[in-house]
Amino acid sequence: MRRLYDIPAPLLMAFVGALPAQADMQRMNDSALSSVSGQSGITMEVDLKASADRLSYFDDGAGIHVEGLRIGSATDSDGTARHVIKTDILQDASVNLDYLIEDRRIEFGDVTLEGSPGAGIGGVFLDQSMEGTLTLSPGGATADGYTFDVNYEMTDGRLGYRTNGYEVFLDGVSMTMNAPGITLDEVGGALEIASPSVTGSYTVDAIRYSNNPQNHGNSTDVLTGNALPSYGSLSGDFDFSSETTISAGGRFGSEGLRLDGETIINSANVIYRDDGNPIALRNITGSSEYTDLRVDVAPDWNGRNGLALTLGELTGDFRIGSIELGGNGGSIGELAFNYRFADRAFNGRDYTNAVYVMGGGHPDAGPQGLRLAAQWSLADADFAWTEDGNTVIFSGLQSWGQGDVTVNVTRNQTINGTRFYDGVRLGFDGVEGGYRLNGLRVGNEDADLQGGTELLLALGVYPAYDFELDGQVTLGAGGATGEGLTVNSDIQITNGNAAILADTYDDGAGEQPQKGLWATDLNYDAHVRDMTVDVTDEGLAIVEGEAWSTMDIGNLRIGDKNSNGSFGRFVLQSYEKGSSMVVKPGGAGNVCVGGTGGSASACQSSGGIWEERGQQGVTIALKSILARAVSETKRNAFIWETNRTLGPDGPENGTGTQLVLNDIYTSDGVDLDGDGKEDNTFGIRTDLNVDIYQTKVVKKDSGADANGVVGNRGDEKIMDSSTAAGYRYVASPTDSEKDDRPLGFAVQAHSRFKELSVNSIDLVHPTGGAATAIQGVKLQNMDIKANLTATPIQ
Amino acid sequence: MQQGWIIAAILGLVMVTPATAEMARLSDGDLSDVAGQGGIYLSGDVSINENGGPIQNAYFGTCDEGSKRCGARLAFQLKANGGWMVLDDIRGKFSFQGLTLRVRNIDSGFGGDGAVFNRDVLEVGLPNTVRYDDVQFTLANSSTARPSDPGFQQTDVFSIEMQGDVVLEGNLLVFPTGNP
Repeated sequence: MRRLYDIPAPLLMAFVGALPAQADMQRMNDSALSSVSGQSGITMEVDLKASADRLSYFDDGAGIHVEGLRIGSATDSDGTARHVIKTDILQDASVNLDYLIEDRRIEFGDVTLEGSPGAGIGGVFLDQSMEGTLTLSPGGATADGYTFDVNYEMTDGRLGYRTNGYEVFLDGVSMTMNAPGITLDEVGGALEIASPSVTGSYTVDAIRYSNNPQNHGNSTDVLTGNALPSYGSLSGDFDFSSETTISAGGRFGSEGLRLDGETIINSANVIYRDDGNPIALRNITGSSEYTDLRVDVAPDWNGRNGLALTLGELTGDFRIGSIELGGNGGSIGELAFNYRFADRAFNGRDYTNAVYVMGGGHPDAGPQGLRLAAQWSLADADFAWTEDGNTVIFSGLQSWGQGDVTVNVTRNQTINGTRFYDGVRLGFDGVEGGYRLNGLRVGNEDADLQGGTELLLALGVYPAYDFELDGQVTLGAGGATGEGLTVNSDIQITNGNAAILADTYDDGAGEQPQKGLWATDLNYDAHVRDMTVDVTDEGLAIVEGEAWSTMDIGNLRIGDKNSNGSFGRFVLQSYEKGSSMVVKPGGAGNVCVGGTGGSASACQSSGGIWEERGQQGVTIALKSILARAVSETKRNAFIWETNRTLGPDGPENGTGTQLVLNDIYTSDGVDLDGDGKEDNTFGIRTDLNVDIYQTKVVKKDSGADANGVVGNRGDEKIMDSSTAAGYRYVASPTDSEKDDRPLGFAVQAHSRFKELSVNSIDLVHPTGGAATAIQGVKLQNMDIKANLTATPIQ
Repeated sequence: MQQGWIIAAILGLVMVTPATAEMARLSDGDLSDVAGQGGIYLSGDVSINENGGPIQNAYFGTCDEGSKRCGARLAFQLKANGGWMVLDDIRGKFSFQGLTLRVRNIDSGFGGDGAVFNRDVLEVGLPNTVRYDDVQFTLANSSTARPSDPGFQQTDVFSIEMQGDVVLEGNLLVFPTGNP
C-alpha cells in the first residue's frame, strides 16, 4: 500500500484528471467480469490529502484563477480521502478500473479573474463516497477513437456554494449512473463525445443553508447541534443521450473553446419534497440542440472581464407529462415548451445570448459573490397547457433583455446601509428587458392564431411587458414549519409598459405595433417580508408576513403603447399583512353555469349548462388582508389623476386633478381578541378554479362574420377542422357537436369578505387642495360567486 | 396578492369608463373591417349572496333565517358626522353570454365619421341578453355605518326586485379624451 501526502499541485491535477470520479464510468456486467477472472492487475490504495494555492486558465492572456484548491477528507479538514483502484487489462485489450472512494472532499475557496482585484466568485465544495467501474476500450465511433463504459454509485454526497463564509449546499446526495458505450473521437480537428445512453437516479436529503462560517460542510449547526435549515429535498431519475463536439477557438481573440451538441431526454422525473409533501414533475421528455457555444475569458459590453459564455443558437422542446402538487397527489395537467434562442433585433436593437461570469456579487455583501452580466434573445417560443385532454397554446413568446444578476449567500444584517436577509440573494442590477406573446392557438399547434393572451391575467401574467428592473429576492431556508422557503424581496420596476389587452405583433404579414390596452410609463415598487412558501397536503401554500407596493401607471393608453391618447394616471397602492395564497391541483369539477343544481338534470331543468370539467386544472385560494394605513407608502389606495400639466417629457404627475380612494382596508368588524382593535383576520377570500374547457359561443348577429362564415343570430359556434375557417355555426348542435365547442379558460370564482372600508374619497385640486367627497364607505357581508368562461375572439 | 389588484384594476376601469364612452352597435359587416381580431369573449353568471354572506350576527344571517338579512350592505357617508346612505340586502344572480372585450381601430363606417375619427378604442361588446334572477336591494338611511354599531337606527326607503331578461345590444366604445 502506498500513501501519498501533500502531492505537488501539477502532479495532483494530473492524478485528479485520471481519477474515476472525473470520468464517465461503466459498471461491468457478469459477462465482462468473467473475462476479468484470472487476469492479473494492479491494486492501488491511496489516502489522499492535497492542496494547491492557485490553478489558472489563460485565454488570450486573460486569466481565471481557482484559488485554494484542496482534496482530502470530507469530515476532517486535516484528514485524507481513501481511494482504492484496481486496474485490469481485459482480453480484448481494454482497461478496466474498479474503484472505491471514501470520504472525499474536493473544494476551492474562490475563483478570481484577471483585472478584478478584491472580487471573487466564491467557493465550491463537493463531498462524495463512490464505488464504480470504468472500462476504456480502443476504437470509438472511428477506429482511432476510444470507448468508455461508465458505472458508479455515489453516496454521502454534498455539493455546496459558499460566499463570505455563508453557504448553501445539497446534503446527503446519493446517485447512481450507468453510461455504456461513450465514444471519444477526433474528427476534423475537434473532439466528438457521444453518450448513447445515460441512465440513473438521485436523491438529495436536504438543501441546507448556513449563516455561520464555522459550519462549513456540516449538516448540523456546530453551536446547537441542530440540523441546518432546509429548503426541502429532491429525488429523480433520468434517461438521456447526448453528443458534444469540442473544438479550439473562442469568439474573441485566437484562443478559447467552441462547443456544439445535442441532448435527447428519453424520460425523466423530478420530485421536490417539503416535509414529505411533493411537487412532482413526471414523465419529462424533450430535446435540445446548441450550436456555436463559445467559452472565453473576455470583457463584456461594459469592459468588465469575465468568463464569457456566448451562444450561437439553442433550440429545443421540453414536455412535462404531469405536474403533481401537494401530498394528495392531484395534477394540474401537462406543460410543453419549445424554444429558440438566437440573435434577433427587438425594438430596433440587436440582442444576443451571452453570459459573462464575474466575481463580486452585490458590492456590500462582501468580496465574494457571483455577478452574471447577461444578455438574452428568445427569438420564438410556444408553451402549451393541457388539462383533461384540452390544450391551449400560448404562441409566439419572445423575450429580450440585458443586465446584471448577482448571487450571494447572505445573512440577516445591514452592511453599508444595505439590508440583507438569511438565504440566497438574487440581485437585479439595471436589467432592461421585456417579453410579448403573439396569440393563442387552441387544440393543437396547427390551429389558427387568435387573440386571447389576456386570459393569462387570470393568473397574474401580462400578455406583453417591457421594463427596467432592479432589486433583490432572497430565498431563505425553512418555511412556515420545517422545510420550505422564506422570501424577502424588494423589487423596483421603472419605465415599464404592460399590456392588459394585447393584439398580435405579427399576424403573418410581418411585425407590427402591438395594439392593446397598455399601462405605460409604469413604475412599480414592491416589498415582501417573511413570506413563507411550503408544500402541504393541499398544494403550494404562500403566506406573506408583510407586503406593500405602489404601482404608478403614468398613462393608461389604448392602441399602440406609444400612442398619444391617455386615460390619465392611475396609482394602486397595496399594504397587506398576513395575506396568503394556496395553489391546489384540480379545477372546478362539475359546474352548473347559468342555473342551479347539483346534477346534470337539475341544472338543465333550471336553465343552466352542466359542465364536467374533469379532475385536472388549478385552484388558487387567496386571502388578502388589507391593513390600515400606517404611512403614505404603506396603505391601500387608488388614485386617478387627469388634466396634468404638460412638461417636456409628457404629463407631469402630481400637477392634475385627482380622485383618491384613501385607506382601503378589511376588517372582521369585531374585537374578539380583546386587544382594543378590531380584528382583521378574514380579509377578502377568493377561490379561483381554473380549467380549460369548451364553452358555448353564440353568434350575435345574422350574416357573415369577420372570417366570412355565415350564420344566424343565436347560432352556436362549433369547431370543425374540415372547414376553411376551422369552425361553423350550428342552430341546434347535437351532443357530439357540443363536444366541439370552442375551448377557453373556464374560471369559477368565489369571493367573500366581512367588511371592506374606504376611509374617505377625496377630490384633490392642484392648487385648491383636497376636498372630501365621501366621508367613508363600508361594504359588509359580501359573497360573490361567478362562473365565467373566456374564449378568444377569432 | 398582486393578481387581485390587477383584476381589480380591470374591473375598476370598466366601472369608471362610462363617463367617456359612446354606445354604438357594430354589425358583423363592420366587424369585417376591423383590423386584428384579438380579445376575449366572456359568458357565465355572477351571483351575489346566493345563500348569505360571511357575517353571522343579530342582523346578518343565512337566507333561510327570515328574521335576518342575508344580502350584502353598502353604506356611505356624504357629510362628516352625518347619517349614512345605505344599499342594503343586495342579492341576485346575473347570467349572460357573449360579453366581448377587445381593442379595435375605427377608421371607417359610422356614416363617414369613422374615417375622421381614425383611432383605437376599447370595445366592450354587450351580450344580447342578460338574465336577472331575484336581483334585489333596499335603499335606506342609517344612523351608523354598521347595524352592529351602538345607536343603530335605519329607515328603509324602498326596495327593488328584478326578474327576467334584459336586452343589452351594441357595443360600448371607450377611448380617452381631454387632457390626461
